[in-house]
Amino acid sequence: MNEEKLFQEISEAVVEMEDELVEELCNKSLELLIPADKTITEGLVAGMNKVGQLYEEQEYFLPEVLTCSDTLNIGLDILKPHIEKESTDNPIKVVIGVVEGDTHDIGKNLVKIMTESAGIEVYDLGRDVPLEKFINVAEEVNANFICMSTLMTTTMMGMKTVIDMLKQRNIRNKYKVMIGGGPISQKFADEIGADAYTVDANEAVKRIKTMVAS
Amino acid sequence: MNEKERLVKLLKGEKTDRPPIICPGGMMNAAVTELLGDMDLNHNTELDAMVATAIKIREVVGFENYGVPFCMTCEAEPLGVTISEGDKNNEPRILEYNNSSIDEIMEEFRINPLENKRMATVITAIAKLKNDEIPVIGNITGPISTATSIVDPLRLFKMLRREPDEAYRFIEYVNDYSIEYAKEMVKAGADLIAISDPTATGEILGKKNFDKFAMPMYEKFLKVMKELSIPVIIHICGDAKTIIDSLNTLEVDALSFDSIVNMRFAKSKLNKKLMGNVSTLLLQNGPIDRIISITKNAIDSGVDIVSPACGLGMSTPIENLRAMTDYVKGSI
Repeated sequence: MNEEKLFQEISEAVVEMEDELVEELCNKSLELLIPADKTITEGLVAGMNKVGQLYEEQEYFLPEVLTCSDTLNIGLDILKPHIEKESTDNPIKVVIGVVEGDTHDIGKNLVKIMTESAGIEVYDLGRDVPLEKFINVAEEVNANFICMSTLMTTTMMGMKTVIDMLKQRNIRNKYKVMIGGGPISQKFADEIGADAYTVDANEAVKRIKTMVAS
Repeated sequence: MNEKERLVKLLKGEKTDRPPIICPGGMMNAAVTELLGDMDLNHNTELDAMVATAIKIREVVGFENYGVPFCMTCEAEPLGVTISEGDKNNEPRILEYNNSSIDEIMEEFRINPLENKRMATVITAIAKLKNDEIPVIGNITGPISTATSIVDPLRLFKMLRREPDEAYRFIEYVNDYSIEYAKEMVKAGADLIAISDPTATGEILGKKNFDKFAMPMYEKFLKVMKELSIPVIIHICGDAKTIIDSLNTLEVDALSFDSIVNMRFAKSKLNKKLMGNVSTLLLQNGPIDRIISITKNAIDSGVDIVSPACGLGMSTPIENLRAMTDYVKGSI
């Protein structure tokens, strides 16, 4: 089997949520001595990108995306130990969480899954995250992005507090701040001075990439 | 025409002098921090505080109904989850899900609403609130939302794909005891039942999953309520575009939608009474003249029952809510 065909099949297996097939094909790629990072990018991640596309087109919804991401992880677990070191140097780092007072984390988890599958390093702070923690962890890990989510109108002002705290500490320009969630809008992002708002997880990943490129 | 006559007549399709303005309770409740000010006991758990809060919401804020409880955790609480009971600033919420297998959970817990402490409190509160003039609403958290409050939502969502039959059985099990709970509410004197199922939004599930896992549950629920001649309102969060045709097949008396749903569009697609949908963000932040104009717009768009669009933030000022209720009653 040639590489192209193998990648194609891995990608389709991710989209179709076929755990065993992904496992088999990823092992096969190692037997064929195909570099693991190449299989990840052109097989697994290509498949997950297709999943993102189907999600955008409202063909797939949350249950499907979550299940695909489990299939993806099976493949990643097999391939990751075989990645040669230099290809993971200097990754984009993202700190993400649901702001204090809110425990709704479905949207945040979706962003996390899509971001991770795009090869970005994600530090997930979970839900109900104390506001200073976003900054402390970002400082600690040298993050590029601080991503915050909330579903509730009652907690959305916490996002502004984080941005204000960054300003107070004179580190506002060190980070791109991205926000999202049910009640959040571009208008709100502009009002509180966030760098970006995206409407869904797929859009978030695209935005992170374009912001890094520019 | 008193408040009960107006709401019940409207739900039966009869003419009324004006739309009712209600806040049913449950997920959509007006037990805001400002209102709870001098309440000594927790209104989420203590009978007297629960009853007093329901009455105060009508008297102080002006909503034309009584409704209990004020959260979405009563149905999930007895199934081995840890909840926060809430206070004057936070609604009760799930802190820890039950990590046992679905089969173990269904095996272990048999829910009898009369024996469960908080469900029994809600039922007794309804009995105390029962009267001839003001409609009493029993609030039920929908089966998808309750199922995803008992086990981690991500786990259940994956099961919808991986183990659809088991997921279905679990949601049905939740639905069945929720129906029993609603029946007890009716026996105690509830005039109608409002089901809120925010997690069942088409945006999360998609039409296929909604039709497969949510619709049969509502159908079963509605059938039982119909036998009791009790009107039902169902509230679904988020954008309902993908599931609106499915909803139209339900034998439900009214459907309630989020502020993202264009009510003119909904009206054109549905042959149901519509409830909604004044933005809760607007109700929280104001300004008052905009609250009034959006309330007017809701009525002009064909809303039959005016209400908030979704769950209210607890920091929502009474003054803002009052603007909405006063406007509908014609005093502004």
